[in-house]
Amino acid sequence: MIEVDTHVGEDAADIRPRGRLTMVVTPQLRTLINETVQAGRARIVVDLAGCEFVDSSGLGALIAGLKTARQAGGDLRIAGVGPQIATVLRLTNLDRVLRPHDTVAGALGAG
Amino acid sequence: MLEALWGEYDDVTPSDRILFETAVIEIAGNIAQHAAAGVPLQFTLNLWVEPDRVEAEFRDHGRRVDIDLDVVALPDDSAESGRGLAMARAAVDEFHYRRDGSTNQWRIVRRRQR
Repeated sequence: MIEVDTHVGEDAADIRPRGRLTMVVTPQLRTLINETVQAGRARIVVDLAGCEFVDSSGLGALIAGLKTARQAGGDLRIAGVGPQIATVLRLTNLDRVLRPHDTVAGALGAG
Repeated sequence: MLEALWGEYDDVTPSDRILFETAVIEIAGNIAQHAAAGVPLQFTLNLWVEPDRVEAEFRDHGRRVDIDLDVVALPDDSAESGRGLAMARAAVDEFHYRRDGSTNQWRIVRRRQR
């Protein structure tokens, strides 16, 4: 299940996947990020606090979302990263491009 | 299924669990995507927890996997796919694939932390 909270700012949205972010649900996350950016909210925070597992397709969806958001003049940041997600970010060296933030507010406020 | 396994073997460290499960899920995903190629495919998965290692073996009757495991590498940071097997290989100590007749066989071993 994926929730979106668009009340975090006029041009920002908080997207919260829950459970396991694997190939079963990643198409939904990709669509949701695209729709959110198209609706004018290109500053996206994906809050992973309710998500205990991300596979390579989930990482791919986050990278796709990062590119989509940046093309629209925004950005995609991640927050609330648990130990498995931190591990896969490190294994793939993607922690350089998707730097984990502790909180959604911290992710939105970071430069 | 892995949760049940860890319940039974609660002395496997969190780090070993995370890395082993990540590799298992990536191989299962690879079988579903490549060997199955859009048609339903069953695979069998056997798991072993030994004092010194955790091990998984997958068998399926899908298409042969044409891949040189020695050159499995991470794609560019901006790639939206193609990381699965490189992730799996990085997460375990042994990573094998072989085609045996009409069967694909994957075997991974993670040596346990003490």
